Amino acid sequence: MVEKTVTITAEHGIHTRPAALLVKAAKGYDCDILVECQGKIASAKSLFKLQTLGLYKGVSVTVSAEGEQAHQAVENVAELLITLS
Amino acid sequence: MIIKGIAVSSGIAFGQAKVLKPSHAKLDYHLIPHTQLHQEQQRLTAALDALIKQIVLSAEHLDKASEHHQLIDADLMFLEDEELQLELNQTIANQQFSAALAVEHTFAKQAQILKDMDSPYLACRADDVICLGQRLISTILNGHCTSHSQLPENCILFTKDITPAEFAILPLERINAIVLQTGGVTSHTAILARSAEIPTLMNCNVEFDELVDGAQVAVDAIGGALYLSPTSADHQHLSQLKQQALIRKAGLTKFRDQVTQTADGHSVALLANVGCISEINHLADVGAEGVGLFRTEFMFMHSAELPDEQTQYQRYCDAVQLLDGKPLTIRTMDLGADKEVPALTMAHEENPALGIRGVRYTLTHTLLFNAQLKAILRAANHGPIRLMFPMVNQVEELEAVFELIEECKQQLVEDERGFGELSLGIVVETPAAVFNLPSMVPMLDFISIGTNDLTQYTMAADRANPQLVEQFPVLSPVIVKLIAQCIEAAKTANVTVSMCGELASNPAATALLIGLGIDELSVSLSALLEVKQELSHWRYPQCVNIAKQALVTSRIEELNVLLTHCRLS
Repeated sequence: MVEKTVTITAEHGIHTRPAALLVKAAKGYDCDILVECQGKIASAKSLFKLQTLGLYKGVSVTVSAEGEQAHQAVENVAELLITLS
Repeated sequence: MIIKGIAVSSGIAFGQAKVLKPSHAKLDYHLIPHTQLHQEQQRLTAALDALIKQIVLSAEHLDKASEHHQLIDADLMFLEDEELQLELNQTIANQQFSAALAVEHTFAKQAQILKDMDSPYLACRADDVICLGQRLISTILNGHCTSHSQLPENCILFTKDITPAEFAILPLERINAIVLQTGGVTSHTAILARSAEIPTLMNCNVEFDELVDGAQVAVDAIGGALYLSPTSADHQHLSQLKQQALIRKAGLTKFRDQVTQTADGHSVALLANVGCISEINHLADVGAEGVGLFRTEFMFMHSAELPDEQTQYQRYCDAVQLLDGKPLTIRTMDLGADKEVPALTMAHEENPALGIRGVRYTLTHTLLFNAQLKAILRAANHGPIRLMFPMVNQVEELEAVFELIEECKQQLVEDERGFGELSLGIVVETPAAVFNLPSMVPMLDFISIGTNDLTQYTMAADRANPQLVEQFPVLSPVIVKLIAQCIEAAKTANVTVSMCGELASNPAATALLIGLGIDELSVSLSALLEVKQELSHWRYPQCVNIAKQALVTSRIEELNVLLTHCRLS
């Protein structure tokens, strides 16, 4: 399993629009990608679940994936979590 | 009849009412027999498909890269979400809910999770979720989706709420104004309305049953009022306002995007005084560089109940968010004197102006004060806030205030609430404060001179008495000397000097104030561009020269002549 932890820096957090962009990117990979934040876990491919994590500025988030392209998927999603706003 | 609302997108509009009523079909709370559950699941799937198709169709003409399109994409992604569909189907199967009830239940749960988040921006998204759920419910119940394509020309649109995605597909060319029952200044729809320059009122408590489609109504999205049956006098008044706004905009707009500086490049910060958050929307219209005075007492004076910490926190966050990194200067509540609060009983005083007001009041009502301080500290986590205290005379008062701030921070740490650092200052409004500044400035980041009260307390002349105001104007030699003394004390400690009193808004005094060494002027929105224009007429050495001459005048008339003469020459 590949794992990476990052901190959200976007002023308003990962709200609807950036979250939708993130989901779009995650759907491009075949492997399951999980996002964990403050004890809650959601699939990176579900806007519905991702929204409930509370990805606001300053919180620490762990992205993990297993299987084909897992490494790339985690890097890409983690990168988006830091850069999207 | 006039109904109040929050003006979120400025402008005046007339037009015919068009009400988009929410679907009136009541939800059926009866449980569904097991044999029919499958049918409900099929209804759900059909409704999801229909709504998705309609949204895709309505987005066809939009630019794919636009923010509108991205919001519509998010709505689509939400409806197509497998986890959402799974949860809806399970809710139908496990709880024996109808399709509509399952949607309401699931979307309400989701909205509640968002509302409970410790981030006002994310919490705002709860309204969008509810709204999307409503559309899905009405699609299930009606068997088809509602469309906005049949709006009449020149209409004023009334509805409960609009999601950003719905806003994006409105035929804006037919809409003169929008009136919503819900929403707030920082909602996404408000931002879209502003960028589309459609006058918009939100949180407007209008009963849709009182409205007939086609009735002539007027919207004042400057003052924040809806005129249900405008009289010809209303019409005239609003037309005038509209005209004035246009003229002011045309004449002074060229100054909006210019740097605030003298002809020879001496720059000064020009900020705005505001009494409510919706005014912050208009800062960009005049190119203000932030808020130099946010009077918080109006938040208390206009409500029957006192706004608690959470409510205040939300409002300060709204302000911070609207300012987008520009400074917000908050003055803690300045109650007492002429400002009474319906929700508080205040002791009757013989001389309220010389009584328990400003920090004298808040330092003796610490429950009230702590709630405000904590709300401000928490909001400072989201953007820059400068905090100042009214009516501080003595360094002891300042120490007491600072001690309370430390206690509040401690409580926030214990409650695991995030907070940010504040820049701290005082409003200098008594001669005592001016003379005590040397002992206070080492503890401060800035001072703001409140010239109205400073004049009242220096001259012992009630500012509410027109005769005395004429006899003892703000623009008088003794006040000029006190301002100079403030600046001198502040500069020794490298403290920024701002001015938030009426004198700052008076173009006749602009050159003098700059010459004296004021760093920032905080002025009323309506005067801002005029002050900016005035400033551009002067060269800095001229300003310094005027200040020098003003400091040696002894008569009020002498000072007036000096300023008038210099402006003309």
